[in-house]
Amino acid sequence: MDIEEKLRILSGAARYDASCASSGCGREGPSRRIGNTSRAGICHSWSDDGRCISLLKILLSNDCRYDCAYCVNRSSNPVPRASFTAREVVDLTLEFYRRNYIEGLFLSSAVLQSPDHTMEAMVRVVEILRREELFGGYIHLKVIPGCSSELVRRAGLHADRISVNIELPSHASLQRLAPQKHKQAILEPMALIGREIQTSLTERRTSRKAPRFAPAGQSTQMIIGASPETDLQILRLSQGLYRTMNLKRVYYSAFVPVNDDNRLPVLAIPPLMREHRLYQADWLLRFYGFSAEEILSDDAPNLDEAFDPKTAWALRHPEFFPVEINRAEYAALLRVPGIGVTSAKRIMAARRFCPVTPEGLKRIGVVMKRARYFITCSGRPFEKPDRPPVMLRERLLLGDGVPETPPQPRQMILSGLFT
Amino acid sequence: MQHYLYDGTAEGLLSAAASIIETDPEPGQATLAVRQDTLFEEGLFLRTEEGRAEALFARLGEVAPDARHTLYFFMLAEAAEKETSLLHYVALAFRYGDRVNGYLTHDAVREVVFLSRKAGRELQRMKGLLRFQQLQDNTWLARMEPDHNIIQPLAHHFCRRLRAQEWFIYDAARRSAAHWDRKTLTFGTLEQFSNPVLSGEEKAVQAMWQSFFRTIAIPERRNPRLQKSCMPVKYWKYLTEKQGE
Repeated sequence: MDIEEKLRILSGAARYDASCASSGCGREGPSRRIGNTSRAGICHSWSDDGRCISLLKILLSNDCRYDCAYCVNRSSNPVPRASFTAREVVDLTLEFYRRNYIEGLFLSSAVLQSPDHTMEAMVRVVEILRREELFGGYIHLKVIPGCSSELVRRAGLHADRISVNIELPSHASLQRLAPQKHKQAILEPMALIGREIQTSLTERRTSRKAPRFAPAGQSTQMIIGASPETDLQILRLSQGLYRTMNLKRVYYSAFVPVNDDNRLPVLAIPPLMREHRLYQADWLLRFYGFSAEEILSDDAPNLDEAFDPKTAWALRHPEFFPVEINRAEYAALLRVPGIGVTSAKRIMAARRFCPVTPEGLKRIGVVMKRARYFITCSGRPFEKPDRPPVMLRERLLLGDGVPETPPQPRQMILSGLFT
Repeated sequence: MQHYLYDGTAEGLLSAAASIIETDPEPGQATLAVRQDTLFEEGLFLRTEEGRAEALFARLGEVAPDARHTLYFFMLAEAAEKETSLLHYVALAFRYGDRVNGYLTHDAVREVVFLSRKAGRELQRMKGLLRFQQLQDNTWLARMEPDHNIIQPLAHHFCRRLRAQEWFIYDAARRSAAHWDRKTLTFGTLEQFSNPVLSGEEKAVQAMWQSFFRTIAIPERRNPRLQKSCMPVKYWKYLTEKQGE
């Protein structure tokens, strides 16, 4: 099999991994022959599905002994199988890097013999890149659940980011859809990585020569819509992961049906809107000081598809508003729909020169079509106060006139049936 | 309110701004423009003084390093009639220090900050979208046509990143070029540009990248609108993965 054919099979098999971040870690210095990383991360291209490409995202092998219901590479699927040698991955990475196609490598793999065997091969690729080729670019390495902690440690010493996929949002779903995988085997390496990162950070505070362990942190990913969990359950899980395991990111991946399996739901299109709303809620958890219980409750455990989670929260809490732009604290500004982290910081900075005017708010970049219902500016409201909530919902949904875009079709369209 | 003129060079602009701030009691009221040499033009012409531009940058760096950074990117940005905004911005920066960048409700500050951010964003974008090709003599060439004149900071980025290869970056819109010979970085202009011969393996690697680009997209999530908004079509001309579309 030639290398281009392998690349086609093994990148096609890796595309369901959501993470493509290349940020969080700066590396410079003449000790590297080729490459550096930039703290902000760099996107190199955007594929036809609109997702950014910054890493060469491939599997080392798609030959798998597991038979997970949702996975395109499961052992019962009759797909072509291929495996790279370590050298092939290294050469491909370097050739692409020299042409500035990529920021680095994202390496994952299916498991054929044993987790240890697969993980050993993956770590070997990374060690060649770092030690023999002196490659300074970004490396994201998947950890295979069930591999030895020694291999996890070696992975963390060379990769910028390592991640263990949690796959599904609950233990019950994991048992049903991926019976050969075990919750404990996933959570153990996560906790280990969290501890190692913490130790390395502490040691580096006293000595700059102490080795860095996964300097860009650890992330994970779960599939949304393949199992019956509510959004509240999912957000609680993410919140727990951020708080206890010290994760940098949780990725949500809308379930794309690639297999026929009676354990899986039948969907016309992937639940992309739900995925989008979950990411918005995830941002509220990490940057806006919200908790999962504030965003959702047991009575309404799913995110509203019509409103973003912050607007939905604001509509449920009229007592919090209006917020006075020229006096409110930073945390209160952050709760206003239409004001994000950047705008809130800009308002705080601009207030030091003179009171912010309605005109100034627009210049700062506040989305007035949402914010106008929730703020006052030097005591003056933009809208009549005490608007009934129902009317407010309508205005927020429709804007001042007609809806901007027609609602997306949610029903499957069978082409050719009626034509 | 005084009207000033300068010779139209970048050096002249900064030199003029420096001398207005030193001599004019109210630089915030003054205006500055390029001399057109028409008969009825009014205004005081300021001659470009050697070294004054650097001195201004150095002085600004002491009181307001962020503002200096903003000013640098503002100078790279392509925009007509940006002189007066620059003058007012620099005057404010000397008065308020780095806090000036928060004064977005001021027209001049807003124009300078937003335009410099535009140039900065294009630089960040180009760091990702620039594509090098290997030539027959084992040097590397990348071509681009950016909106703003970002070749200098871009070249500095790549001499840290692709340290071990000899490369050229060519800005086809401005006919300017950067050259890294593995030791030093030089800039120049090119009057003539002819397409050089590619190395033997270049086409094969490009084909692999193109096939990676096709298979990495999930067909069920196709979203060309999102793709175009993240990666505007104006950059596709030199993108390896977008050739032949």
